[in-house]
Amino acid sequence: MSTDPKTLPGADPHTGNREIDPVTGYDTTGHDWGGIKELNTPFPKVALAALALTVIYSVIAWILLPAWPLGRDYTRGVLGLDQQAMAEARLRNLTDLRAGWLNRFEDPDFAALSDDPALMALAMPAADRLFQDNCSACHGRAGGGGPGFPVLHDTYWLWGGAPQDIALTLQVGINADHPETRWAQMPAFDWMADEELSEVSDYVAAMRSGEADPDGAAATLFAENCAACHGEGGVGGLMNGAPSLVDDAVIYGQDADTVMTTLLNGRQGLMPYWSDRLSDAEINALALYVARMSDAAGSTPSGATE
Amino acid sequence: MAVTATLTSTERQIGIAISAGLAVLGLAMAAVAKTGPMALHGGMALVLGLALVFHLGGALYDQPEPSARRQAEYYDAPTRFGIVMTLIWAVTAMGVGVWLAALMYWPEATPPVPATSFGRMRPVHTSGIIFGFGGNALIATSFYVVQRTSRARLADAVSPWFVLIGFNLFCVWAATGYLMGQTQSKEYAEPEWYADLWLVVVWVTYFALYIRTLARRAEPHIYVANWYYMSFILVVAMLHIVNNLALPVTWGAGESYTIWTGVQDAMIQWWYGHNAVAFFLTTGFLGMLYYFLPVRAQRPIWSYRLSILSFWGIVFFYMWAGSHHLHYTALPYWVQTLGMTFSVMLLVPSWASAGNAIATLNGAWHKVRDDAVLRFMFVAAVFYGLSTFEGSFLAIRPVNSLSHYTDWTVGHVHSGTLGWVAMIVFGAIYSLVPKLWGRADMAWPRAVEWHFWLAITGTLIYVVSLWNAGITQGLMWRAYDEGGALSFSFIESVEAMLPYYAARTLGGALFLTGAVLCALNCRATMRAAGDRVDEADRPLVPQPAE
Amino acid sequence: MLKLHYNLEKLSMGLVGAIIVVASVGGIIEIAPLFTIEETVEIPDDMRPHTPLELAGREIYIREGCYACHSQMVRSLADELDRYGPYSLAAESAWDHPMLWGSKRTGPDLARVGGKYSDDWHVAHLIDPRSVIPVSIMPAYPWLTRDLDTGLIEDKLTTLARLGVPYDDAMIENALADARAQSQPDSDGTEGVRDRYGDDIAVRAFDGDPLRLTEMDALVAYLQSLGTLTDAAQEMLTEDVP
Ligand code: HEC
Ligand code: HEC
Ligand code: HEC
Ligand code: HEM
Ligand code: HEM
Ligand SMILES: [Ca+2]
Ligand SMILES: [Ca+2]
Ligand SMILES: [Cu+2]
Repeated sequence: MSTDPKTLPGADPHTGNREIDPVTGYDTTGHDWGGIKELNTPFPKVALAALALTVIYSVIAWILLPAWPLGRDYTRGVLGLDQQAMAEARLRNLTDLRAGWLNRFEDPDFAALSDDPALMALAMPAADRLFQDNCSACHGRAGGGGPGFPVLHDTYWLWGGAPQDIALTLQVGINADHPETRWAQMPAFDWMADEELSEVSDYVAAMRSGEADPDGAAATLFAENCAACHGEGGVGGLMNGAPSLVDDAVIYGQDADTVMTTLLNGRQGLMPYWSDRLSDAEINALALYVARMSDAAGSTPSGATE
Repeated sequence: MAVTATLTSTERQIGIAISAGLAVLGLAMAAVAKTGPMALHGGMALVLGLALVFHLGGALYDQPEPSARRQAEYYDAPTRFGIVMTLIWAVTAMGVGVWLAALMYWPEATPPVPATSFGRMRPVHTSGIIFGFGGNALIATSFYVVQRTSRARLADAVSPWFVLIGFNLFCVWAATGYLMGQTQSKEYAEPEWYADLWLVVVWVTYFALYIRTLARRAEPHIYVANWYYMSFILVVAMLHIVNNLALPVTWGAGESYTIWTGVQDAMIQWWYGHNAVAFFLTTGFLGMLYYFLPVRAQRPIWSYRLSILSFWGIVFFYMWAGSHHLHYTALPYWVQTLGMTFSVMLLVPSWASAGNAIATLNGAWHKVRDDAVLRFMFVAAVFYGLSTFEGSFLAIRPVNSLSHYTDWTVGHVHSGTLGWVAMIVFGAIYSLVPKLWGRADMAWPRAVEWHFWLAITGTLIYVVSLWNAGITQGLMWRAYDEGGALSFSFIESVEAMLPYYAARTLGGALFLTGAVLCALNCRATMRAAGDRVDEADRPLVPQPAE
Repeated sequence: MLKLHYNLEKLSMGLVGAIIVVASVGGIIEIAPLFTIEETVEIPDDMRPHTPLELAGREIYIREGCYACHSQMVRSLADELDRYGPYSLAAESAWDHPMLWGSKRTGPDLARVGGKYSDDWHVAHLIDPRSVIPVSIMPAYPWLTRDLDTGLIEDKLTTLARLGVPYDDAMIENALADARAQSQPDSDGTEGVRDRYGDDIAVRAFDGDPLRLTEMDALVAYLQSLGTLTDAAQEMLTEDVP
């Protein structure tokens, strides 16, 4: 700014003094914008100090970390950090931390694993988290299933409820993309006459309460068409993916209307396979978790949804 | 006095020509449109254009010419219109905000029809509040401020109307487009290509008007508020154009693909997004603060030198900081480091402007205590300081690893937007409305006090509950138990949010109540308009005839 | 300095110029090198573009604002790798106009959701999220069962091809046929889609009904494709982490 105060706007041309603000004691810059004036307060030192401090912080960061672009390359920083490598390293630390208990699940000796309470105390909460993030969307948070998705906390199984059976189901899925997936299809019986369909539907609907007429025409139809998969009298238990029709476990619904839909369209539920997303040990831990879920439930009535 | 009476008959004719142009544009859009939203938007432009043609045409000969004295008066009719639009958008967009907040813990609060779905309404809230509420407030006050601080009348009488009406058409296109599912998905830049282009036209006009008015100023120096308003106009134009470069699918489709992809798109998007915060939600409102706070407090700005530091610091540093929205993503590390460090340096100029504003109140603290209007402005400056501090903190990578993607960001956003942006707007509105409608005070002075307390309580409830929500969420996502396994499933973190979402809805509802009260109070004041001339207004420095 | 500024304040166009210059620096230095530094995006050999059906689904994802609640970006943080899978690579969104990395996770990240659930589950979940997840706060999208509007599908591929997405003439010509065929597993066109986009793409009646091409088909096809356009991310991680 001009060194001669007398030339400054707003200054008294004789003394060079400008209007002094009575509150702060500072003079004004002499401007007046529709009544707004500005004080000529000296630069606050603290602002400069803060600026210096943040600049120092930044310069240090630029030296240590990747920071400035150089056309086709950039400065790598003396620490040579790479965010992806750092994340992987941290993941490796976590894997090491887990290794103590998780690696034991690589050996699927479920009885031995199950008998170690200290191990279970670590593994089951971890398995629960895996279950909640991966399985609960379909099977419910407590394994209660839902329309189209089987209950897991009961004692009825499509493919077997022993931990090793469950582990295999998890590895390969059911009707999934895995080359060795478990495969099960309820064929469509749309070729049946309407009458027959409704008789069979009523018959199957009555099965659960044991009220189905074993001598009717529907029983014959059932024996000829269905028993191969669902067992004599629909008792199931063949562990071929076809459910028993006399127990409490129901996937899609066992009222006559739903059974009719099942018969008309067939069913082929899909359970994804997990061997790409979860490690063998994690899958074994989950299998044990699911098996224990059902053990704990004992004979809880199933079909109840969460 | 009818608004049209402020225009000369030549100006009315120009207005008719422009409106007819708009109608033709709308007709053309509707004719080539292959998609519903574009056809509807063309229809809106057509109807608006025709309505304006009739309105101006009716006035062409019926209404007297404005008095020759008008060159010696400030032109405030556009500002009055802008304030009314500000209030309408405030109530609408905050109403949508409260609705969204409710949806987040009561997802079935709206009928299952597309237009009321969360994902479609969310941009109605963000665009409606930032552009509709914030933008109208900025344009309206900038017209007022540039005239007062230049002691010059707006450079012409037609372009302010073009800017305001055109801008509101853009906002309506945006909001209705989202409801119909039309969006480019770029946050805060969602409108489709034709709306983007239209905004460019509006903005160039705005810039020309502003700079021509400044050129007529009586004081040799340009006041700080105008530096800020100008940076808002200029940089928003830069950002808007680059981020919205897109190739329409066909000319008739209201659909397009941005020319940017992947990581470059991400960087450009957040270079835009962050600086939309900086130059829309910050510098423009700093311009507002720099005018209304000293005038209301009747105190000189505390430090001219600090103003310089903070202005250029903000303009320079902000533009580097956008990459703090992309920490730990596939964006290269080096850009993240730059974003982080410049965000930290940015704190200094930000606090310099907040500090300058607060120090300006030295000697006027009794007014802050007694005058709710000045208190709005004071609180705005405080929240400006708080949210910029929080922002710089969140920009530090390790902190961001916790906060990013969580409700902490949303808490930060609303500490800035409710505490800072909305408060300064309310302060400015309460200062302006009585003046512009010729009264000594608002119609219901005590309602201003009520509004203040509703707003501050609402803000605090909103922000504190979302801080809690965000930090809880971030900690739950990364928590490990002693065995090295994740402790919480994602869905547990969703459940943990519900009480905070409920509290936020309450806070938002209080804030909205205040805004509704403000709108009603303003309406009452406008209805009771007087003919009092504001004696604080300096006489215009005479201008050559237009 | 102060003197300089004192004079600058008198020139409105001077201020304008200064603001433009000062505000341009940061963007130029941060953005331009993203195009010149080659390691920024390395397109893997096995990368494929979205099929027309998936692209249509992506547009529904955008239209409904799913990105407002879901990110598609697994950050380089150990817990995210643990929960969601390999961190996202820049290449994975290299042909995305626009990118959909997101900025808020009200719901979980979706970058790796492809294949995690069945089509049936997605359909049930989208129509009524609370039918499968009782505590979900995600909105219901029952209207997605309406027919898919494919009117502009060829124009869309053409536009994207112009912007550098590797859609060739055959892909553009067959866009509509491919969209239909991908949702009709037993139709004649399925071989064509597979030829053009690779054997790994899912060809299924995503919404359960092969006779109708619905918005649900498109959206579910898109969701099932997320994270499956290239195996690079999986390979990168398994190489480095045992
Ligand atoms: C996309 C939905 C879905 C997800 C996710 C899912 N499942 Fe399943 N699961 C199914 C369906 C459907 C079946 C039944 C398949 C059938 O109908 O044949 C099934 C069957 C099973 C079975 C066989 C039940 C029996 O009676 O033999 C087990 C065990 C199982 N799931 C466990 C799990 C576990 C553990 C997870 C998580 C890692 C999981 N599921 C994730 C859908 C799913
Ligand atoms: C080729 C083997 C096969 C034959 C034959 C077969 N089913 Fe099935 N059925 C299945 C399988 C596998 C399932 C489970 C499908 C699933 O979970 O998606 C099933 C499921 C069902 C269900 C649904 C159960 C529930 O819990 O919702 C009903 C009902 C049923 N079958 C009835 C019949 C009847 C009646 C017939 C004869 C007319 C029949 N099935 C013939 C394999 C068969
Ligand atoms: C209001 C926020 C919100 C919106 C909008 C939203 N979602 Fe969600 N989404 C959620 C929440 C919360 C969850 C977790 C609970 C659940 O699975 O329902 C979720 C879960 C999901 C999941 C399961 C992810 C997983 O790994 O478990 C998918 C897939 C999904 N959403 C897709 C979509 C699609 C597609 C849209 C748009 C059409 C959408 N979402 C819109 C909130 C939202
Ligand atoms: C020094 C100043 C500021 C800095 C350094 C800053 C920094 C940040 C950071 C780090 C985020 C989080 C990004 C993420 O993790 O996704 C953010 C988000 C945001 N901030 Fe600020 N902030 C500042 C001031 C403000 C102010 C004053 C406002 C409002 C008036 C504001 C509005 C926003 C908005 C709207 C977002 C959300 C963007 C989105 O994800 O959609 N910020 N800011
Ligand atoms: C009545 C007061 C308000 C309420 C209840 C409210 C509510 C909300 C809600 C529920 C969201 C969505 C958050 C999410 O998706 O998780 C949101 C986002 C947002 N709101 Fe508000 N809002 C209010 C006022 C405002 C105001 C006054 C502004 C700006 C001036 C504003 C700017 C924003 C922005 C920028 C976002 C996006 C944040 C992001 O993407 O991270 N809001 N608001
Ligand atoms: Ca746009
Ligand atoms: Ca956001
Ligand atoms: Cu930012």
